[in-house]
Amino acid sequence: MIFQLVRRFTQTLLVLFGVSVATFLTMHWAPGHPLQANPELRLDPTAVERWLQLRNLDQPLPAQYLSWLSRMLRGDFGQSLLYNRPVIELIRERLPSTLLLTVTAFLIGLFLALVVGIYVAKKQNSWVDRMVQVYSLAGISVPGYWLGIVLIICFAYRFPLFSAVGMRTPGDGSLPDILQHMVLPLIVMVFHNFAYYVRHVRSAVLNVLNLDFVRAAKARGLTDKQVMLWHVLPNSAIPIVTIAALSLPVLFTGAMMAEQVFAWPGIGRFIVTSTMARDYPVIMTVNLYTAALVAIANFLADVLYLFIDPRLRVKA
Amino acid sequence: MRRLLPLLCLLILILSGCHGYKEHGAGQESELHVAAIAGPVTLNPIFVRDSASAEVASLLHASLLITDPDTLEPMPHLVSSWDVLGDNLTYIFTLQENAYWTDGVSITAEDAAFTMRVICHPDYTGWLFLPLRYVAGAQEYKENHQSLFADGLIEGIEVLGEKTFSVTLKEPYAPFLSLLTFPLLPAHLLSAVEVGQLEAHEYSLKLPVSSGPYLLAEWDADEYVHVKANPDFFLGKPEIDHIYYRFIPNVETQVIELLAGKLDLIPTAVKVEDVKLLQTDPQIKIYTNPRLVYDYIAINTNKDSPLQDRRVRQALATLVNRREIVDNVLLGYADPLYGPLLPLHFAYDESLQAETVDLAAARELLVAAGYNNLQLNLIFNAGNLVRENVALLLKEQAAKIGIEIQLSLLEWEAFLAAVNEGDYELAILGRGVEADPDLSYHWHSESLGNALGYKNEEVDLLLEQASRLTTQRERTFLYRQAQKKILEDIPAIWLYSRQAIHAATATLEKFRPHPESVFFNVHEWTLKGGEGSQ
Repeated sequence: MIFQLVRRFTQTLLVLFGVSVATFLTMHWAPGHPLQANPELRLDPTAVERWLQLRNLDQPLPAQYLSWLSRMLRGDFGQSLLYNRPVIELIRERLPSTLLLTVTAFLIGLFLALVVGIYVAKKQNSWVDRMVQVYSLAGISVPGYWLGIVLIICFAYRFPLFSAVGMRTPGDGSLPDILQHMVLPLIVMVFHNFAYYVRHVRSAVLNVLNLDFVRAAKARGLTDKQVMLWHVLPNSAIPIVTIAALSLPVLFTGAMMAEQVFAWPGIGRFIVTSTMARDYPVIMTVNLYTAALVAIANFLADVLYLFIDPRLRVKA
Repeated sequence: MRRLLPLLCLLILILSGCHGYKEHGAGQESELHVAAIAGPVTLNPIFVRDSASAEVASLLHASLLITDPDTLEPMPHLVSSWDVLGDNLTYIFTLQENAYWTDGVSITAEDAAFTMRVICHPDYTGWLFLPLRYVAGAQEYKENHQSLFADGLIEGIEVLGEKTFSVTLKEPYAPFLSLLTFPLLPAHLLSAVEVGQLEAHEYSLKLPVSSGPYLLAEWDADEYVHVKANPDFFLGKPEIDHIYYRFIPNVETQVIELLAGKLDLIPTAVKVEDVKLLQTDPQIKIYTNPRLVYDYIAINTNKDSPLQDRRVRQALATLVNRREIVDNVLLGYADPLYGPLLPLHFAYDESLQAETVDLAAARELLVAAGYNNLQLNLIFNAGNLVRENVALLLKEQAAKIGIEIQLSLLEWEAFLAAVNEGDYELAILGRGVEADPDLSYHWHSESLGNALGYKNEEVDLLLEQASRLTTQRERTFLYRQAQKKILEDIPAIWLYSRQAIHAATATLEKFRPHPESVFFNVHEWTLKGGEGSQ
């Protein structure tokens, strides 16, 4: 067990190192640099040169990478080239508003998916089941961008019930104000989340429902409720946990689309802007932290499996 | 589920009642909500490199001079008056008597001298050195100044009194005044800061002290900049008390918010397709004004290709139907352009207006150049529908005379890289120009901004001559001559100059956008009945 953990940890470190090198190289080989002159503005090439010098961006790539690595290992993720502020500070400012949205959407989506998924699995091939199937296909295929605009037109313009822009009204920012700003982005995100999760919950439950031990449990005279809670759910948990754990990194990188459409001040928009602006330190940090989250999420899922499934414990 | 439904309805009702938009009645402070695609990255006016930062800077800072929105002639602003000494080399400027920093300290000639020293300092990385390089001693200061601070003296800049200073140039340079449109930095706060540290200094983020019509109240990283009227602004306290500059990256959302009455102004970049919809709403007014930008097709003559033959370039130039582009693609919100001088420039030549689409002549030119048919490649950037349409129109026209144009749609950064490396035959580009018609920056062979690598000694000579003259009549004559020579060489095909389209609430009055700045007269704007957003 300990050996396995150590092995996984070393693997994770190697992966993170690989990700940082790959990100660094792609970023620097991609066309453009952070002060790429927009031809519509006048620029001063000598100022660009001095700007790069002052930020050590005129150094050869290996030297730049090593200096980034050594600073990163000491906990210094550098300054954003665009905003001239520490990267960590910029991320910290934007993370709470993103988490507020993504975690809420995740919890609502998962809860709905569990309730509905189990229900339709029991009623396989009923009209409710068919409707959920159709919906779930639609939910995955409908572009969130389009749905967002439709919702804005309906509920922020035609019937102005909710706000469509930002996280709060300028000058306000009370809890009810924030909540009513959350409604539309949440609907878009849950519409998609729920559609995605419900498929998995339904198929996981269905798979177990058809197994012999469930029939045996029923034969022993257990009620439907007992069968569901004691036998079906624990055994269908593994795929559900996998899906949930894999969603973890997305919670932190945000919902780029919803943030873009609803002008939500989160990390997703920040990542897009920084990538467009070739803000190297930000991109490096964000990629590294996303990679770390993916690794952590996988690791957590593995640990959870051990708890949920006694068979895996025996094998380990 | 049946039990949940009423609960859900209740929740929706409660939340929808939570609209935070304040109702404005008489006597309450007025608010204006302005849309922006992105937020600013710096509030320091001399490090501005993007349009959002420039717009916010124009709310917060007063520039030395401004240009007239119609004639683009230099006009007094923070500088209340100036004299030019006989040799056209020395300018004596006087600052507004009642101009104060927002902390109550008087804005002085020393602030002006300090700001110009920062701009000329070797560690300064903004874009403003170009206009100041004509000042005597500026180049030497940039090359030889040792200290990390903007101290010492520049030969041509002299503080004469509390409110007066003089600037002496190396040689007469006519456009000089029209380039003094940058704001000042407060010397009393920043003179002890190393110039290399200035861009990342707290001042750029918090802006404790400024000089403009508005002062910073709050800058929320990704939501909005809130500014409030500066009671001590030297032209009087602005009429509108609060302006919220709100970052809404999605233009469709902006339009819907304006229609819903939650925004008051979408400046500059309303899409031509949206104008019709917005015009149907009596609560919304559309404003347009010409700008100092144009789009053109760059022709790469530095690469070995048929385009090195002038006749091939001319054949291409005779294919382009600018009227059609302006009327059908830009729905009339642009001026067709036939040369590098814009209609806003005093030297603009109206006689160039004649459209010259002639397929037969184009074909003849091509054959005369020895080509029966040929292939050319045209690059343009993704996401600009107008340019995409222009590319398609050109391809269609060119096919008629036997030129096959291959279109490559490139991502913005890849597009810029291809342009900078000269890796193209034809490219659709945009360009911003200065208020003064001086063509040197883009067309003088030794200019840093001559991105096309254009070289014509006669043009160089004309441009040098013109910038030393002072009367508009003489300069007009020379610039038109230079333009004629440039047009004969066909280094590019000029297309159109797009207008700025603004959509504002009908309650907004005295809104008068400037070709270079939407907030040009923001201190005069009023909201009818003192009402703002609801």
